[in-house]
Amino acid sequence: MGIGMARKATGGLAERTALALAFAIFASAFSSAEEAPAPAMAPPLSASCYVPASDIAAPASLPNVAAALQERRTVRILAIGSSSTSGVGAPSNGKSYSSQLEQILEHALKGVDIEIINRGVTGEVAETTAERVKSEVVINRPDLVLWQLGTNDALARIDPGDFEATVRSTIGWLKENRIDVVLVGQQYTTRFARDANYSAIRDSLQRIAAEENILYVRRYDAMRFIAKAHANLELMSRDNFHLNDLGYQCMAEHVAHAVIVSLFVKGVRPTKD
Amino acid sequence: MRIPNEIDFWRGFALLTIFVNHVPGLYFERFTFRNVSLSDSAELFVFLAGCALRKLVEGPASGRSKGALILRLESRALRVYVAQTVITEIAIALLAAATIVLDAPFLLDWHNASAVFNDPVRAHVGLVLLTHQLGYFNILPLYVVLMACAPLIALTQRSARPLLLPASLAIYIGALAFGVNFPTWPVEGTWFFNPLAWQLIFILGFVVAGEDGLGAFARRHHRILRGLALPIVVIGAGAAIMDFSPAPIEFPAPRLFFMFDKTFLSPARLIHSMALMALFAGAFATIRSWLPRSSAFLSLLGRNSLNVFCAGSILSLTGQIFRFVYGGHVATDAFIVILGFFLMGLVAWASEWREKPLAD
Repeated sequence: MGIGMARKATGGLAERTALALAFAIFASAFSSAEEAPAPAMAPPLSASCYVPASDIAAPASLPNVAAALQERRTVRILAIGSSSTSGVGAPSNGKSYSSQLEQILEHALKGVDIEIINRGVTGEVAETTAERVKSEVVINRPDLVLWQLGTNDALARIDPGDFEATVRSTIGWLKENRIDVVLVGQQYTTRFARDANYSAIRDSLQRIAAEENILYVRRYDAMRFIAKAHANLELMSRDNFHLNDLGYQCMAEHVAHAVIVSLFVKGVRPTKD
Repeated sequence: MRIPNEIDFWRGFALLTIFVNHVPGLYFERFTFRNVSLSDSAELFVFLAGCALRKLVEGPASGRSKGALILRLESRALRVYVAQTVITEIAIALLAAATIVLDAPFLLDWHNASAVFNDPVRAHVGLVLLTHQLGYFNILPLYVVLMACAPLIALTQRSARPLLLPASLAIYIGALAFGVNFPTWPVEGTWFFNPLAWQLIFILGFVVAGEDGLGAFARRHHRILRGLALPIVVIGAGAAIMDFSPAPIEFPAPRLFFMFDKTFLSPARLIHSMALMALFAGAFATIRSWLPRSSAFLSLLGRNSLNVFCAGSILSLTGQIFRFVYGGHVATDAFIVILGFFLMGLVAWASEWREKPLAD
């Protein structure tokens, strides 16, 4: 599932009007959600970053984060992975995806302290991250690892089977250590829309997430939705590969949305047989 | 020119393995020994560097005064430092050139390079201070730190020999117990090879390569050590094949001691690596009689290890760019490996040829 979900190539005027309307309705929901004291509401997406929830991620349980919330202790998140995590193209540290994510999550989970440790290294393949993540986990003791991956493995022409084995093995290890994992997938750029390796790695991630029952933020689908829904919004910097400010903002919003939905919506994901 | 010897041979072997392991996704990577081992060529390389330092200190540099020894060793450290900064700059230029030619700006991101292009003011300071390292170009910074400490090691060896290994062990235990590592800057993080942990295997190489003490003990009891090493190597191979990695949550703190971690050179990796070396120590004579040409080739590489390492680093990055353009198939990968080995051999040969007229 997932790959073929809610994919509409919009272009017609009627559809655009409908979308605008949807944004207006959404925006009003946004303002009322902000006033709601209970954290059980998914954090609202801004109008520019709006994507149907089904295009962001299928919710999956995050037992260790949930436990931390229940115990009212600081939720520690290790953000690891490549360029989008390290914040290339964003003007200042304050704008990077992890710091924005921290703000959104703290706002949505009122009264909860979120600490994000950023260990992104640009252009890193999953194999190297898999080597780094272990000591980082032991030293920083996170409840959740946000692993942004896929793009560089596709470009380095890593065999998707090997990629999958590396990622699965690391996920298994993290699970054993009672740490939740969220995979943050590849970005959408027109250049790689037809690249066979790129889509093979995307398929791998989809399969891993479904079979390991973990949360997978499908950035590609989310960004493609935005690209098709409003052609005037640019998520990428001029090089058409790195995110710009809005791109980072949307990424943070999408990840936060997926995490919150997963924390407060139960039993959404159909069990695999 | 030295005749082929054991240290040079295994150094050459490590150099070729590192080259293959540094082209991620390469088909032939599956034939490197890390697939059946908890440790890889990095351990071997650093251990042998320790051995080579001992040979230098007790050989050509043995009669030198303290001052001369310090100067001699620090000049070697400087040479490694210069090599590191030069190959890093070449790697950056390679990525930049590939970006221009292939119109592929994402290559500027590879291996942590992006800070150089997006935050050049701070990144350049970091490059010179070695706090900004490119992925796969992170072994030499460790080597620079170790060589910078070489005079201290050599002088301790001269005047307070029994202190050397305990001091090294204490630093190692401290680093693992408290999770201490060198920071990176401007990109927030830590060194991929933690010098505080990895110095131990360097010192072990230094100590074992000597004619006395632990080295003499190891040689005297080689048979027993080999017998002890065999099950460790077999268990390690099993763990690697089964993809087993202990979950530190099941262990008490400090947990870095109970992992298979590369950055902190966890005890399991260290012990496994030492077992591998105990098992294969002395095998060189047999290998040489069976495969004289290959042994000569590997020894040639090992004799010129710094130059060959630098060439291998640049070649592996070139191989990665080549794979990006032409895809990863057995044929492209075979081309990369054959050409890479050939050019590394050529660099080694040229390095010796260049020195020849001076020696004559």
